[in-house]
Amino acid sequence: MPKLLITGIAGGLGRLVAKMALKRWEVIGVDRAPWPSAPDGVVVHQFDMRKRRFEDVFRTERPEAVVHLAFVRHFRSDPATRHEINVEGTKHLLEHCAEYGVRQLVVVSSSYVYGALANNARYMNEDHPLNASRTFPEIRDLCEVEGLVGTFLWRYPEIATSILRPVNTLGHSVHNSIGNYVKVPLVPTVMGFNPMMQFLHAEDLAEAVNVALEKKIRGVYNVAGPGAVPLACALEAIGRPHFSIPDLVAYTVISALFGLGIYRFPPGAIDFIKYPCTISDRRFRDATGFRARHTLAEIFASVAP
Amino acid sequence: MESPLDFVLSLSDRLHEVSSGLTGFVGDLITEIDEKVDRIPAHLNEYGYDPWGYNPAVLKRFILPAAFLYRYYFRCRTTGLENLPEGRVLLIGNHAGQVAFDGLMVMAACVLEAAPPRLARGMGEYWLGTLPFLSVLMDRTGSAVGTRQTGVDMLEQGECVMAFPEGVHGMNKLYSDAYKLMEFGLGFMRLALQTHAPIVPVSIVGSEEQNPGIANLEGVANLLGMPSFPITLTFPWLGPLGMMPLPVRYHIEFGPPLLFDGDPEDEDDVIEAKVDEVKAALQHQLDRGRKNRRSIFF
Repeated sequence: MPKLLITGIAGGLGRLVAKMALKRWEVIGVDRAPWPSAPDGVVVHQFDMRKRRFEDVFRTERPEAVVHLAFVRHFRSDPATRHEINVEGTKHLLEHCAEYGVRQLVVVSSSYVYGALANNARYMNEDHPLNASRTFPEIRDLCEVEGLVGTFLWRYPEIATSILRPVNTLGHSVHNSIGNYVKVPLVPTVMGFNPMMQFLHAEDLAEAVNVALEKKIRGVYNVAGPGAVPLACALEAIGRPHFSIPDLVAYTVISALFGLGIYRFPPGAIDFIKYPCTISDRRFRDATGFRARHTLAEIFASVAP
Repeated sequence: MESPLDFVLSLSDRLHEVSSGLTGFVGDLITEIDEKVDRIPAHLNEYGYDPWGYNPAVLKRFILPAAFLYRYYFRCRTTGLENLPEGRVLLIGNHAGQVAFDGLMVMAACVLEAAPPRLARGMGEYWLGTLPFLSVLMDRTGSAVGTRQTGVDMLEQGECVMAFPEGVHGMNKLYSDAYKLMEFGLGFMRLALQTHAPIVPVSIVGSEEQNPGIANLEGVANLLGMPSFPITLTFPWLGPLGMMPLPVRYHIEFGPPLLFDGDPEDEDDVIEAKVDEVKAALQHQLDRGRKNRRSIFF
């Protein structure tokens, strides 16, 4: 079986991708964190991707395909470290892919790179500019990652490189910003705003990554789930009580709490619970035939208290 | 916690409850609205929302006061609804009257009088998307911030999209320019060409007299981040109450559908020639409508 290297394999999404990939690939993983219960056949190298040993994995294992998931997506750590892991880490990974004959690369970005703006088109396609950094400097590094991978796509036409931009991904084993947001006992929302939000089950995202590998697609693709509902409707379906605060108060309080390190929700993220950031996955569906299996109700049930 | 929007909608709900037992005209109107909104063709998911956030339950409550205005305040006389084709259609109207009651009345006409009832989906100013409560209400009742992508998607899904290509320049024009169509934006024509959607010109006579504009203070508007700041006989002198329209009679006419062919990405002057055809048809309807009415109020 051909070899597949997964970076960030010990994360919630990494584990799901690895388990699904086992049928068709010999799976190798790299992560700073351990995966104690890794299934048979999965080899996990536990070290920091910024270390030299990362290149050794490419040299010795010679993976045919790479899935890049090793991004810091939370805001707990030092912004400089986050930037280094996300941007420098990706740069090194791309260099290794080019040097050691990788044939396929899937990078999982996020629909958040489009930014949540009041005058956003609904259901943006992949050509839409990445406006996130205008209002949300904390995720500027993800936009930079996209720039690097985009250049790589253009420079190495022989490598099937794809960038996936999934919508809000929920799943009981996945820890991300939207997951943390909906798991607070009393969820804050912005008064007078209730944007349509798309959701995707983490298992469906893992499946989408595997489908992207299987179909050897090239290019940038939005990945959406079964549909969209207003934020408040989603919170009610999940079973979380919520309360609304005026936006001025929200920005002030959340900036202060974030600055003090008490609440891990950066103020720029407020726009995502205020304005729409919905995407069209038509290209991905046309290229792969992918359809999310989990319904909205199942997605919400997966994070219910 | 209850927001002002929830509060307004809950008032409408109370009215709903109180009157559902009534056999009077309020009860009848509510029954009629419920039945008609349920017949509007829509793509709803299991939570009752369409992809752009339209929710029939909210529309039912919202359209009730609009229906009162339609029937008993503006006493709208609507003609030509048989011109409304099935499936995708782009309604192009003249905009006037400082506050967009014209859009609301076209919406009410399409729910109350079209067969089958249709949801006229307004394409709003970008500014509206930034407003708390109003932006949500706009989405729930089927409208959206007017971007090209949204318009294309809606038309491709067979929706009825409503646009006022004069924008705020029409709505907040001075009374001296009444019933003179202002410059049309070209976006709607590119939209129609891209989606092969028929254009139905909708002339609204009456709106110009509802709240005649005396001046437009652009400096104040810029300061407040608003698209315009109109001065009328009553606004801003009476505060928000000054936005109340006069009880003029509305005459709404849906004209025969116009079909255009061509490249949506053509040069501006090619598109403009097509836009001028729509403008001429609309102006013709407006002139005829004004000639035929006997009085502003009756």
